[in-house]
Amino acid sequence: MNSPLDSTVLFQIGPVPITQAIVTTWAIMAILVIGAFLLTRRLDLRPTRRQAALELMVATLDTQITETTGAAPAPYRGFIGTLFVFILVANWSSLVPGIDPPTAKLETDAALAVLVFLSVIWFGIRAGGVGGWLKTFAAPNPVMIPLNILQSLTRVFSMFVRLFGNVMSGVFVIGIVASLAGLLVPIPLMALDLLTGLVQAYIFAVLAMVFITSAVEDGARTQPTIDLAPSPTKKDS
Amino acid sequence: MTLDWWGLGLQAINVLILVWLLSRVFWRPIAGAITRRQDAAQAMLEEGKTAQAKADAALAEVVETRAGIAKERDAILAEAKAAADKATKAELKEAQSKADAMIAAARTAIDRDRNTARKENATRAAELSVEIAARLLGRFNTPAVQATFLAQLVEAIAGMSASDRTALIASADDIEIITATNPEDAERANIEQAVKDALDGTPSVRLVTDPSLIAGLELRSGHFVLHNSWRADLENVLKEVENAG
Repeated sequence: MNSPLDSTVLFQIGPVPITQAIVTTWAIMAILVIGAFLLTRRLDLRPTRRQAALELMVATLDTQITETTGAAPAPYRGFIGTLFVFILVANWSSLVPGIDPPTAKLETDAALAVLVFLSVIWFGIRAGGVGGWLKTFAAPNPVMIPLNILQSLTRVFSMFVRLFGNVMSGVFVIGIVASLAGLLVPIPLMALDLLTGLVQAYIFAVLAMVFITSAVEDGARTQPTIDLAPSPTKKDS
Repeated sequence: MTLDWWGLGLQAINVLILVWLLSRVFWRPIAGAITRRQDAAQAMLEEGKTAQAKADAALAEVVETRAGIAKERDAILAEAKAAADKATKAELKEAQSKADAMIAAARTAIDRDRNTARKENATRAAELSVEIAARLLGRFNTPAVQATFLAQLVEAIAGMSASDRTALIASADDIEIITATNPEDAERANIEQAVKDALDGTPSVRLVTDPSLIAGLELRSGHFVLHNSWRADLENVLKEVENAG
Protein backbone atom coordinates (compact mmCIF):
# COMPACT_ATOMS: atom_id res chain seq x y z
CA MET A 1 0.00 0.00 0.00
CA ASN A 2 1.25 3.40 -1.00
CA SER A 3 1.42 6.14 1.58
CA PRO A 4 -1.56 8.49 1.28
CA LEU A 5 0.83 11.34 1.76
CA ASP A 6 2.53 10.56 -1.52
CA SER A 7 1.18 11.80 -4.84
CA THR A 8 1.19 9.44 -7.80
CA VAL A 9 2.50 11.22 -10.90
CA LEU A 10 0.71 9.85 -13.93
CA PHE A 11 2.46 11.86 -16.60
CA GLN A 12 4.38 15.03 -17.13
CA ILE A 13 3.49 18.13 -19.14
CA GLY A 14 6.77 19.95 -19.48
CA PRO A 15 7.96 20.71 -16.01
CA VAL A 16 4.46 20.17 -14.58
CA PRO A 17 3.85 16.75 -13.07
CA ILE A 18 0.25 15.63 -13.57
CA THR A 19 -0.75 13.63 -10.53
CA GLN A 20 -3.72 11.34 -10.07
CA ALA A 21 -5.39 13.99 -7.89
CA ILE A 22 -5.26 16.48 -10.75
CA VAL A 23 -6.71 14.01 -13.24
CA THR A 24 -9.44 13.09 -10.76
CA THR A 25 -10.15 16.79 -10.29
CA TRP A 26 -10.48 17.20 -14.06
CA ALA A 27 -12.88 14.28 -14.17
CA ILE A 28 -14.91 15.74 -11.32
CA MET A 29 -14.95 19.11 -13.08
CA ALA A 30 -16.13 17.52 -16.30
CA ILE A 31 -18.85 15.57 -14.54
CA LEU A 32 -20.02 18.63 -12.62
CA VAL A 33 -20.00 20.99 -15.59
CA ILE A 34 -21.62 18.57 -18.02
CA GLY A 35 -24.13 17.48 -15.41
CA ALA A 36 -24.95 21.09 -14.54
CA PHE A 37 -25.33 21.90 -18.21
CA LEU A 38 -27.68 18.98 -18.80
CA LEU A 39 -29.69 19.69 -15.68
CA THR A 40 -30.21 23.37 -16.45
CA ARG A 41 -31.03 23.07 -20.15
CA ARG A 42 -34.80 23.53 -19.86
CA LEU A 43 -35.69 25.87 -17.05
CA ASP A 44 -39.22 27.14 -17.13
CA LEU A 45 -41.62 29.21 -15.03
CA ARG A 46 -43.52 25.98 -14.36
CA PRO A 47 -40.77 23.85 -12.82
CA THR A 48 -40.43 20.11 -13.27
CA ARG A 49 -39.47 17.96 -10.30
CA ARG A 50 -35.85 18.11 -11.42
CA GLN A 51 -35.93 21.90 -11.66
CA ALA A 52 -37.72 22.14 -8.33
CA ALA A 53 -35.00 20.00 -6.70
CA LEU A 54 -32.28 22.19 -8.21
CA GLU A 55 -34.07 25.35 -7.10
CA LEU A 56 -34.50 23.88 -3.64
CA MET A 57 -30.75 23.29 -3.50
CA VAL A 58 -29.93 26.84 -4.58
CA ALA A 59 -32.56 28.29 -2.26
CA THR A 60 -31.12 26.29 0.65
CA LEU A 61 -27.63 27.55 -0.16
CA ASP A 62 -28.93 31.12 -0.37
CA THR A 63 -30.65 30.69 2.97
CA GLN A 64 -27.47 29.40 4.53
CA ILE A 65 -25.49 32.32 3.15
CA THR A 66 -28.09 34.81 4.29
CA GLU A 67 -28.38 33.31 7.76
CA THR A 68 -24.60 33.19 8.12
CA THR A 69 -23.78 36.63 6.75
CA GLY A 70 -27.02 38.55 6.72
CA ALA A 71 -26.04 39.77 3.27
CA ALA A 72 -27.54 39.17 -0.17
CA PRO A 73 -26.35 35.75 -1.35
CA ALA A 74 -25.84 36.55 -5.05
CA PRO A 75 -22.15 37.68 -4.93
CA TYR A 76 -21.03 34.67 -2.88
CA ARG A 77 -23.32 31.98 -4.26
CA GLY A 78 -21.03 30.88 -7.08
CA PHE A 79 -17.84 30.67 -5.03
CA ILE A 80 -19.25 29.17 -1.82
CA GLY A 81 -21.60 26.81 -3.64
CA THR A 82 -18.91 25.55 -5.97
CA LEU A 83 -16.54 25.03 -3.04
CA PHE A 84 -19.16 22.97 -1.24
CA VAL A 85 -20.16 20.90 -4.28
CA PHE A 86 -16.58 20.28 -5.39
CA ILE A 87 -15.35 19.26 -1.92
CA LEU A 88 -18.40 17.05 -1.40
CA VAL A 89 -18.00 15.25 -4.73
CA ALA A 90 -14.25 15.02 -4.24
CA ASN A 91 -14.70 13.53 -0.76
CA TRP A 92 -17.32 11.06 -1.99
CA SER A 93 -15.17 10.04 -4.95
CA SER A 94 -13.35 7.72 -2.52
CA LEU A 95 -16.30 5.35 -2.95
CA VAL A 96 -15.24 4.68 -6.53
CA PRO A 97 -12.83 1.75 -6.43
CA GLY A 98 -9.28 2.70 -7.31
CA ILE A 99 -9.89 6.43 -6.93
CA ASP A 100 -8.26 8.48 -4.21
CA PRO A 101 -10.16 11.67 -3.43
CA PRO A 102 -8.29 14.80 -4.50
CA THR A 103 -9.06 16.35 -1.10
CA ALA A 104 -6.95 13.62 0.51
CA LYS A 105 -3.90 15.33 -1.02
CA LEU A 106 -2.20 18.35 0.46
CA GLU A 107 -1.98 20.23 -2.80
CA THR A 108 -5.75 20.25 -3.41
CA ASP A 109 -6.65 21.31 0.12
CA ALA A 110 -3.90 23.91 0.12
CA ALA A 111 -5.16 25.23 -3.20
CA LEU A 112 -8.67 25.51 -1.78
CA ALA A 113 -7.33 27.30 1.30
CA VAL A 114 -5.33 29.69 -0.86
CA LEU A 115 -8.44 30.45 -2.89
CA VAL A 116 -10.39 31.17 0.30
CA PHE A 117 -7.55 33.41 1.50
CA LEU A 118 -7.54 35.29 -1.77
CA SER A 119 -11.33 35.50 -1.89
CA VAL A 120 -11.36 37.06 1.58
CA ILE A 121 -9.00 39.72 0.29
CA TRP A 122 -10.97 40.16 -2.94
CA PHE A 123 -14.40 40.48 -1.31
CA GLY A 124 -12.95 42.66 1.47
CA ILE A 125 -11.39 45.10 -0.98
CA ARG A 126 -14.52 45.07 -3.16
CA ALA A 127 -16.69 45.93 -0.18
CA GLY A 128 -14.58 48.55 1.56
CA GLY A 129 -11.72 49.39 -0.76
CA VAL A 130 -8.06 48.71 -0.08
CA GLY A 131 -8.01 51.12 2.82
CA GLY A 132 -11.09 49.64 4.39
CA TRP A 133 -9.71 46.13 4.02
CA LEU A 134 -6.36 47.12 5.55
CA LYS A 135 -8.14 48.81 8.41
CA THR A 136 -9.79 45.50 9.29
CA PHE A 137 -6.40 44.39 10.59
CA ALA A 138 -6.40 47.30 13.05
CA ALA A 139 -9.69 46.26 14.61
CA PRO A 140 -10.51 46.66 17.42
CA ASN A 141 -7.23 48.62 17.87
CA PRO A 142 -3.86 48.84 16.11
CA VAL A 143 -2.24 46.69 18.77
CA MET A 144 -4.13 43.77 17.25
CA ILE A 145 -2.55 44.19 13.79
CA PRO A 146 0.11 41.44 14.20
CA LEU A 147 -2.40 39.09 15.75
CA ASN A 148 -4.98 39.76 13.05
CA ILE A 149 -2.41 39.13 10.31
CA LEU A 150 -1.39 35.93 12.01
CA GLN A 151 -5.01 34.93 12.47
CA SER A 152 -5.79 35.46 8.80
CA LEU A 153 -3.03 33.05 7.91
CA THR A 154 -3.54 30.47 10.60
CA ARG A 155 -7.30 30.17 10.18
CA VAL A 156 -6.83 29.36 6.50
CA PHE A 157 -4.06 26.98 7.37
CA SER A 158 -6.29 25.28 9.91
CA MET A 159 -9.02 24.96 7.30
CA PHE A 160 -6.93 23.03 4.87
CA VAL A 161 -5.23 20.96 7.54
CA ARG A 162 -8.63 20.03 8.97
CA LEU A 163 -9.96 19.01 5.60
CA PHE A 164 -6.81 17.19 4.64
CA GLY A 165 -6.56 15.39 7.99
CA ASN A 166 -10.16 14.19 8.01
CA VAL A 167 -10.29 13.01 4.42
CA MET A 168 -6.80 11.58 4.37
CA SER A 169 -7.34 9.74 7.66
CA GLY A 170 -10.57 8.28 6.35
CA VAL A 171 -8.93 7.02 3.23
CA PHE A 172 -5.99 5.77 5.30
CA VAL A 173 -8.16 3.87 7.74
CA ILE A 174 -10.28 2.36 4.98
CA GLY A 175 -7.09 1.32 3.15
CA ILE A 176 -5.66 -0.37 6.24
CA VAL A 177 -8.92 -2.14 7.06
CA ALA A 178 -9.39 -3.21 3.46
CA SER A 179 -5.87 -4.64 3.42
CA LEU A 180 -6.62 -6.63 6.56
CA ALA A 181 -10.21 -7.72 5.86
CA GLY A 182 -11.24 -6.71 2.35
CA LEU A 183 -14.80 -8.13 2.32
CA LEU A 184 -17.70 -6.22 3.91
CA VAL A 185 -15.71 -4.96 6.91
CA PRO A 186 -14.78 -1.52 5.36
CA ILE A 187 -18.41 -0.78 4.47
CA PRO A 188 -19.35 0.83 7.84
CA LEU A 189 -16.16 2.87 7.66
CA MET A 190 -17.04 3.94 4.13
CA ALA A 191 -20.48 5.02 5.30
CA LEU A 192 -18.84 6.97 8.06
CA ASP A 193 -16.51 8.42 5.44
CA LEU A 194 -19.57 9.62 3.49
CA LEU A 195 -20.82 11.47 6.56
CA THR A 196 -17.39 12.85 7.26
CA GLY A 197 -17.06 14.04 3.67
CA LEU A 198 -20.41 15.83 3.86
CA VAL A 199 -19.64 17.45 7.20
CA GLN A 200 -16.19 18.54 6.08
CA ALA A 201 -17.53 20.07 2.87
CA TYR A 202 -20.18 21.93 4.87
CA ILE A 203 -17.64 23.12 7.47
CA PHE A 204 -15.21 24.29 4.81
CA ALA A 205 -17.90 26.21 2.94
CA VAL A 206 -19.38 27.77 6.07
CA LEU A 207 -15.96 28.78 7.40
CA ALA A 208 -15.07 30.34 4.06
CA MET A 209 -18.33 32.25 4.16
CA VAL A 210 -17.70 33.39 7.72
CA PHE A 211 -14.19 34.61 6.87
CA ILE A 212 -15.42 36.46 3.79
CA THR A 213 -18.28 37.97 5.76
CA SER A 214 -15.93 39.10 8.47
CA ALA A 215 -13.76 40.94 6.00
CA VAL A 216 -16.76 42.39 4.15
CA GLU A 217 -18.52 43.59 7.29
CA ASP A 218 -15.37 45.10 8.78
CA GLY A 219 -14.50 46.79 5.51
CA ALA A 220 -17.99 48.15 5.06
CA ARG A 221 -18.10 49.35 8.66
CA THR A 222 -14.85 51.33 8.30
CA GLN A 223 -15.78 52.73 4.85
CA PRO A 224 -17.25 56.28 5.11
CA THR A 225 -20.71 56.81 3.72
CA ILE A 226 -20.59 58.07 0.15
CA ASP A 227 -23.37 60.38 -0.99
CA LEU A 228 -23.92 59.77 -4.69
CA ALA A 229 -26.22 62.75 -5.04
CA PRO A 230 -24.60 65.88 -6.61
CA SER A 231 -23.58 68.41 -4.04
CA PRO A 232 -25.00 71.91 -4.68
CA THR A 233 -22.29 73.45 -2.53
CA LYS A 234 -19.59 72.12 -4.84
CA LYS A 235 -21.46 73.31 -7.90
CA ASP A 236 -21.83 76.77 -6.46
CA SER A 237 -18.18 76.93 -5.60
CA MET B 1 6.07 14.79 3.00
CA THR B 2 6.64 17.44 0.41
CA LEU B 3 4.30 19.97 -1.13
CA ASP B 4 3.98 19.91 -4.91
CA TRP B 5 3.74 23.60 -5.78
CA TRP B 6 2.89 22.84 -9.42
CA GLY B 7 0.06 20.65 -8.23
CA LEU B 8 -1.09 23.32 -5.79
CA GLY B 9 -1.21 25.97 -8.48
CA LEU B 10 -2.83 23.67 -11.00
CA GLN B 11 -5.53 22.65 -8.53
CA ALA B 12 -6.17 26.28 -7.63
CA ILE B 13 -6.60 27.08 -11.31
CA ASN B 14 -8.83 24.02 -11.73
CA VAL B 15 -11.10 25.14 -8.88
CA LEU B 16 -11.19 28.70 -10.18
CA ILE B 17 -12.21 27.43 -13.62
CA LEU B 18 -14.82 25.22 -11.98
CA VAL B 19 -16.16 28.19 -10.02
CA TRP B 20 -16.43 30.19 -13.22
CA LEU B 21 -18.03 27.37 -15.22
CA LEU B 22 -20.55 26.41 -12.58
CA SER B 23 -21.46 30.04 -12.08
CA ARG B 24 -22.20 30.17 -15.80
CA VAL B 25 -24.06 26.91 -16.30
CA PHE B 26 -25.55 26.19 -12.90
CA TRP B 27 -25.85 28.88 -10.26
CA ARG B 28 -26.87 31.81 -12.42
CA PRO B 29 -29.44 29.96 -14.57
CA ILE B 30 -31.16 28.45 -11.55
CA ALA B 31 -31.05 31.70 -9.57
CA GLY B 32 -32.35 33.45 -12.67
CA ALA B 33 -35.20 30.96 -12.92
CA ILE B 34 -36.06 31.58 -9.28
CA THR B 35 -35.91 35.33 -9.82
CA ARG B 36 -38.06 35.09 -12.93
CA ARG B 37 -40.64 33.06 -11.06
CA GLN B 38 -40.59 35.52 -8.18
CA ASP B 39 -41.00 38.39 -10.64
CA ALA B 40 -43.81 36.56 -12.39
CA ALA B 41 -45.49 35.82 -9.06
CA GLN B 42 -45.05 39.45 -8.05
CA ALA B 43 -46.46 40.58 -11.39
CA MET B 44 -49.39 38.20 -10.95
CA LEU B 45 -49.91 39.53 -7.44
CA GLU B 46 -49.81 43.10 -8.74
CA GLU B 47 -52.15 42.11 -11.55
CA GLY B 48 -54.40 40.44 -9.01
CA LYS B 49 -54.35 43.54 -6.85
CA THR B 50 -55.14 45.67 -9.87
CA ALA B 51 -57.94 43.31 -10.87
CA GLN B 52 -59.18 43.34 -7.28
CA ALA B 53 -59.13 47.12 -7.27
CA LYS B 54 -60.99 47.18 -10.58
CA ALA B 55 -63.48 44.65 -9.29
CA ASP B 56 -63.97 46.69 -6.12
CA ALA B 57 -64.48 49.82 -8.18
CA ALA B 58 -66.90 48.00 -10.48
CA LEU B 59 -68.72 46.63 -7.44
CA ALA B 60 -68.97 50.09 -5.93
CA GLU B 61 -70.23 51.41 -9.25
CA VAL B 62 -72.77 48.61 -9.45
CA VAL B 63 -73.90 49.34 -5.89
CA GLU B 64 -74.21 53.02 -6.72
CA THR B 65 -76.03 52.24 -9.95
CA ARG B 66 -78.32 49.87 -8.09
CA ALA B 67 -79.09 52.58 -5.55
CA GLY B 68 -79.78 54.98 -8.41
CA ILE B 69 -81.99 52.40 -10.07
CA ALA B 70 -83.90 51.86 -6.83
CA LYS B 71 -84.34 55.60 -6.43
CA GLU B 72 -85.43 55.95 -10.04
CA ARG B 73 -87.77 52.99 -9.59
CA ASP B 74 -89.34 54.59 -6.55
CA ALA B 75 -89.76 57.85 -8.46
CA ILE B 76 -91.28 56.04 -11.44
CA LEU B 77 -93.58 54.09 -9.14
CA ALA B 78 -94.66 57.28 -7.37
CA GLU B 79 -95.22 59.00 -10.70
CA ALA B 80 -97.14 56.01 -12.03
CA LYS B 81 -99.23 55.91 -8.85
CA ALA B 82 -100.02 59.60 -9.16
CA ALA B 83 -100.91 59.15 -12.83
CA ALA B 84 -103.03 56.11 -11.97
CA ASP B 85 -104.80 58.02 -9.21
CA LYS B 86 -105.42 60.91 -11.58
CA ALA B 87 -106.66 58.58 -14.30
CA THR B 88 -108.82 56.75 -11.77
CA LYS B 89 -110.35 59.97 -10.59
CA ALA B 90 -110.94 61.08 -14.18
CA GLU B 91 -112.43 57.70 -15.05
CA LEU B 92 -114.59 57.81 -11.94
CA LYS B 93 -115.72 61.30 -12.77
CA GLU B 94 -116.45 60.34 -16.38
CA ALA B 95 -118.21 57.18 -15.26
CA GLN B 96 -120.23 59.20 -12.76
CA SER B 97 -121.15 61.65 -15.50
CA LYS B 98 -122.12 58.83 -17.84
CA ALA B 99 -124.07 57.14 -15.09
CA ASP B 100 -125.87 60.40 -14.31
CA ALA B 101 -126.58 60.91 -18.01
CA MET B 102 -127.80 57.33 -18.31
CA ILE B 103 -129.97 57.74 -15.23
CA ALA B 104 -131.39 60.97 -16.60
CA ALA B 105 -131.97 59.35 -19.99
CA ALA B 106 -133.53 56.35 -18.30
CA ARG B 107 -135.76 58.62 -16.27
CA THR B 108 -136.71 60.52 -19.41
CA ALA B 109 -137.39 57.27 -21.22
CA ILE B 110 -139.35 56.00 -18.26
CA ASP B 111 -141.37 59.22 -18.17
CA ARG B 112 -141.88 59.04 -21.90
CA ASP B 113 -142.88 55.40 -21.75
CA ARG B 114 -145.07 56.15 -18.79
CA ASN B 115 -146.75 59.00 -20.67
CA THR B 116 -147.05 56.88 -23.77
CA ALA B 117 -148.50 54.04 -21.73
CA ARG B 118 -150.79 56.43 -19.92
CA LYS B 119 -151.94 57.89 -23.25
CA GLU B 120 -152.37 54.45 -24.68
CA ASN B 121 -154.26 53.42 -21.60
CA ALA B 122 -156.35 56.55 -21.80
CA THR B 123 -156.98 55.99 -25.49
CA ARG B 124 -157.81 52.37 -24.83
CA ALA B 125 -160.05 53.36 -21.92
CA ALA B 126 -161.78 55.95 -24.08
CA GLU B 127 -162.21 53.47 -26.86
CA LEU B 128 -163.49 50.96 -24.35
CA SER B 129 -165.82 53.58 -22.93
CA VAL B 130 -167.05 54.47 -26.36
CA GLU B 131 -167.56 50.81 -27.15
CA ILE B 132 -169.40 50.30 -23.86
CA ALA B 133 -171.48 53.39 -24.51
CA ALA B 134 -172.17 52.22 -28.04
CA ARG B 135 -173.42 48.92 -26.74
CA LEU B 136 -175.48 50.58 -24.08
CA LEU B 137 -176.89 53.11 -26.50
CA GLY B 138 -177.65 50.32 -28.92
CA ARG B 139 -180.26 49.14 -26.44
CA PHE B 140 -182.04 52.46 -26.49
CA ASN B 141 -182.49 52.63 -30.27
CA THR B 142 -186.25 53.12 -29.92
CA PRO B 143 -188.70 54.77 -32.38
CA ALA B 144 -188.77 57.81 -30.15
CA VAL B 145 -185.01 58.16 -30.38
CA GLN B 146 -185.23 57.61 -34.08
CA ALA B 147 -187.85 60.34 -34.35
CA THR B 148 -185.63 62.63 -32.36
CA PHE B 149 -182.73 62.00 -34.69
CA LEU B 150 -185.03 62.62 -37.65
CA ALA B 151 -186.08 65.91 -36.14
CA GLN B 152 -182.46 66.85 -35.53
CA LEU B 153 -181.62 65.91 -39.13
CA VAL B 154 -184.32 68.05 -40.44
CA GLU B 155 -183.26 70.87 -38.19
CA ALA B 156 -179.64 70.47 -39.38
CA ILE B 157 -180.73 70.58 -42.98
CA ALA B 158 -182.70 73.64 -42.21
CA GLY B 159 -179.66 75.15 -40.62
CA MET B 160 -177.66 74.71 -43.78
CA SER B 161 -177.14 77.73 -45.98
CA ALA B 162 -179.34 78.01 -48.98
CA SER B 163 -176.45 77.69 -51.37
CA ASP B 164 -175.27 74.45 -49.67
CA ARG B 165 -178.77 73.07 -49.75
CA THR B 166 -179.10 74.01 -53.42
CA ALA B 167 -175.75 72.44 -54.29
CA LEU B 168 -176.76 69.31 -52.43
CA ILE B 169 -180.02 69.07 -54.28
CA ALA B 170 -178.37 69.79 -57.61
CA SER B 171 -175.74 67.10 -57.25
CA ALA B 172 -176.10 64.37 -59.76
CA ASP B 173 -175.46 61.62 -57.28
CA ASP B 174 -178.16 60.04 -55.23
CA ILE B 175 -178.54 61.31 -51.75
CA GLU B 176 -178.26 58.48 -49.27
CA ILE B 177 -180.05 58.46 -45.97
CA ILE B 178 -178.12 56.15 -43.63
CA THR B 179 -180.08 54.49 -40.86
CA ALA B 180 -178.90 52.15 -38.13
CA THR B 181 -181.80 49.73 -38.54
CA ASN B 182 -183.89 48.79 -41.50
CA PRO B 183 -187.13 50.76 -40.93
CA GLU B 184 -190.63 49.73 -41.74
CA ASP B 185 -192.06 50.92 -45.02
CA ALA B 186 -194.20 53.54 -43.32
CA GLU B 187 -191.36 54.83 -41.34
CA ARG B 188 -189.07 54.70 -44.39
CA ALA B 189 -191.61 56.81 -46.32
CA ASN B 190 -191.90 59.17 -43.42
CA ILE B 191 -188.15 59.63 -43.28
CA GLU B 192 -187.82 60.18 -47.02
CA GLN B 193 -190.65 62.62 -47.02
CA ALA B 194 -189.25 64.55 -44.09
CA VAL B 195 -185.85 64.85 -45.74
CA LYS B 196 -187.31 65.90 -49.03
CA ASP B 197 -189.37 68.49 -47.26
CA ALA B 198 -186.37 69.75 -45.42
CA LEU B 199 -184.41 69.99 -48.62
CA ASP B 200 -187.31 71.74 -50.10
CA GLY B 201 -187.19 69.87 -53.35
CA THR B 202 -187.50 66.55 -54.98
CA PRO B 203 -184.10 65.09 -54.89
CA SER B 204 -183.41 61.44 -55.46
CA VAL B 205 -182.90 59.83 -52.04
CA ARG B 206 -182.16 56.27 -51.19
CA LEU B 207 -182.35 54.70 -47.78
CA VAL B 208 -179.32 52.63 -46.69
CA THR B 209 -178.87 50.65 -43.50
CA ASP B 210 -175.64 50.87 -41.52
CA PRO B 211 -175.74 49.26 -38.02
CA SER B 212 -172.51 50.97 -37.06
CA LEU B 213 -174.44 54.17 -36.54
CA ILE B 214 -175.97 52.63 -33.36
CA ALA B 215 -178.83 55.04 -33.65
CA GLY B 216 -179.54 58.07 -35.82
CA LEU B 217 -179.84 59.27 -39.37
CA GLU B 218 -177.13 60.62 -41.59
CA LEU B 219 -177.21 62.23 -44.94
CA ARG B 220 -174.52 61.42 -47.51
CA SER B 221 -173.83 62.29 -51.10
CA GLY B 222 -170.76 62.17 -53.31
CA HIS B 223 -169.24 65.23 -51.67
CA PHE B 224 -171.30 65.78 -48.59
CA VAL B 225 -171.90 64.06 -45.27
CA LEU B 226 -174.23 65.24 -42.52
CA HIS B 227 -173.50 63.34 -39.34
CA ASN B 228 -176.40 62.75 -37.04
CA SER B 229 -175.92 59.56 -35.07
CA TRP B 230 -174.61 58.29 -31.78
CA ARG B 231 -171.68 56.88 -33.65
CA ALA B 232 -170.73 60.31 -34.82
CA ASP B 233 -171.36 61.70 -31.36
CA LEU B 234 -169.20 59.03 -29.74
CA GLU B 235 -166.45 59.62 -32.29
CA ASN B 236 -166.56 63.30 -31.50
CA VAL B 237 -166.41 62.55 -27.79
CA LEU B 238 -163.52 60.19 -28.35
CA LYS B 239 -161.62 62.79 -30.35
CA GLU B 240 -162.21 65.38 -27.70
CA VAL B 241 -161.01 62.98 -24.98
CA GLU B 242 -157.92 62.13 -27.00
CA ASN B 243 -157.20 65.72 -27.69
CA ALA B 244 -157.68 66.54 -24.03
CA GLY B 245 -155.15 63.84 -23.03
